[in-house]
Amino acid sequence: MIRLKRAVLWACLMAIAALAVLSVYGAFLGADRAQTFFNSVPVAVFWGAFAVLLGAGIVAFGRLLWVPSLLLMHLGCILVVIGGMWGSQPGRDLQERFLGTERIAKGRMPILEGTAENRVAIADSNVTKELPFSIRLRKFRIEYYEPGDLYIYSRDGRRWKLPAEAGRSQTLGRDLGRVTIQRVFRNFRMDISGDERIALDAPGGSNPALEVAIERPDGSTARRYVFLQRAGHNNPSDPLALTYSQSVRDYISELEVVRDNEVVASKDIEVNHPLYYGGYHFYQHSYGQNQFGDYTILMVVADSGLRIVYSGYAMLMVGIVWHFWGRPLRSALRNRRSNERDENR
Amino acid sequence: MAIKYTLQGLLIYLTIAAFLAAFVSTIARRRTTGQWFFTLGFCISLASYVYRWIDGRHVPLQNLFEVFLCLGLVCYPISLLARRGLRIGGQWADMLIAAIVLFPAGFVFHAEQQHLPPALQSWLFVPHVAVYMLGYIFMAMAAARAAIQLATASQPISGKILPFEQATYELIALGFPLLTLGLILGSIWGKRAWGDYWGWDPKELWSLASWLVYAGYFHWRYMFGKKHPRLNSLWAIAGMAVIIITLLWVNLSRLFPGQHSYAT
Repeated sequence: MIRLKRAVLWACLMAIAALAVLSVYGAFLGADRAQTFFNSVPVAVFWGAFAVLLGAGIVAFGRLLWVPSLLLMHLGCILVVIGGMWGSQPGRDLQERFLGTERIAKGRMPILEGTAENRVAIADSNVTKELPFSIRLRKFRIEYYEPGDLYIYSRDGRRWKLPAEAGRSQTLGRDLGRVTIQRVFRNFRMDISGDERIALDAPGGSNPALEVAIERPDGSTARRYVFLQRAGHNNPSDPLALTYSQSVRDYISELEVVRDNEVVASKDIEVNHPLYYGGYHFYQHSYGQNQFGDYTILMVVADSGLRIVYSGYAMLMVGIVWHFWGRPLRSALRNRRSNERDENR
Repeated sequence: MAIKYTLQGLLIYLTIAAFLAAFVSTIARRRTTGQWFFTLGFCISLASYVYRWIDGRHVPLQNLFEVFLCLGLVCYPISLLARRGLRIGGQWADMLIAAIVLFPAGFVFHAEQQHLPPALQSWLFVPHVAVYMLGYIFMAMAAARAAIQLATASQPISGKILPFEQATYELIALGFPLLTLGLILGSIWGKRAWGDYWGWDPKELWSLASWLVYAGYFHWRYMFGKKHPRLNSLWAIAGMAVIIITLLWVNLSRLFPGQHSYAT
């Protein structure tokens, strides 16, 4: 029996080492090729053997059965591996063949603003499948951080960043002088009356721009307009290049789920906040614009095996915390109490 | 080399100086002075972290500069826990670790503030990164004890202090649940943000590899106990080496493009 236990332990150690080596190898492959590699048949066999080995460990080592924390840890690992295999491509192929479950595993859905769509382009193939309901895109919008930033570049590679607020200034050193943001326009327009040009913030429309004053070391001052939507022209002899940009805060698609011509659910989805309906998660994936207007691209994912994996996570976490933190803490508290009792006697 | 002529930079350099002073004092057997410097360094690093937080308007865990700032901050409390709660010696190593982890923040990475991209605007952002940072420092301190055990083969003189091999085990046992939690939180976050609980991203795979090294350590130690203390220590050091690769090489090298590249 001792020999068997030792053999199982050595096999477990070898399996852990092999998985660590495979992980490192997968990291060098990159995410896409690693996914293909870890879903390949030989590695699927390894996953199966790994789960069996964990099960054999539980059977061979009585301690794993009567110490709940150890049992939870090892059962949790088994569940994670089984859930992962169940949700993998080979796992789904087997489900389709033997259980007849035909679900869209993963795909993309481009939807034009104001239209509804139920076709999903399946990932890594030219196949399109249909959902039993449609998703309508009411509106797609991008939100930006306010204010934007003025970036100042020198020819020798230095860079400064300045919040796009009137009155903000940046000293660039003795050789370059100083830059000050004088005005911020939401909708910049230049009026010409006679010989005079007047920059103004016109109502309506959107043409964000900054008026920037550059105080040169020789005492002269130049005025420049920097636009958010256009890169603008930089004179080759100019020692500074200026750009005005805003960082994206969020991408939001306002969605409605339509079934039998009725809206049955709706949600404004954004990154980290997908829509869940009919066993599928719909994620904000990408966006674009064509001749018909703005469109969003949703990622559609079925959650095959997810509950098994999450149950495994919960068991693994509870087991590990209890084993490595809970048990020592409990024994330390017991020792302290017994010491106190001894001192009181 | 990026020297920072800012208040943030000044606070970082003062912290490094205090931690180095603590290290030198402790090595020179001025333990009380060393403790004072260590505490002072922690106070300054706390001020530096809070300053960054207020200035950036989000918890500073977004990029490598902020991550190293956080690593420098958590060294002192973890060292205190190890000394008071676990009777672990070798605090001078913790002081040195604290100074070393602040070096990249002070001299290597740029401190320019960045807005949080949409993917990082999640309640999972802070716990996922924070538990990893705490876990990494536990493992770094464990690796330091392992290295001391390998280098000196000596044991602490006082009987109240744990032997270095045992100290290594205790620290890894405290850090391992944090690595596990970090891995699981990252997986749940990946599902919420990108649709996959496991994306086979290089960072994920290196994190899994580091978790597996420590899982292997526990199985090895269960098999052989303290029969091969040097091998036990080597195992702990190997784990730390994989963590360093996960934290730095994966983010900085072009070999590993992936979903965690914004963390640079």
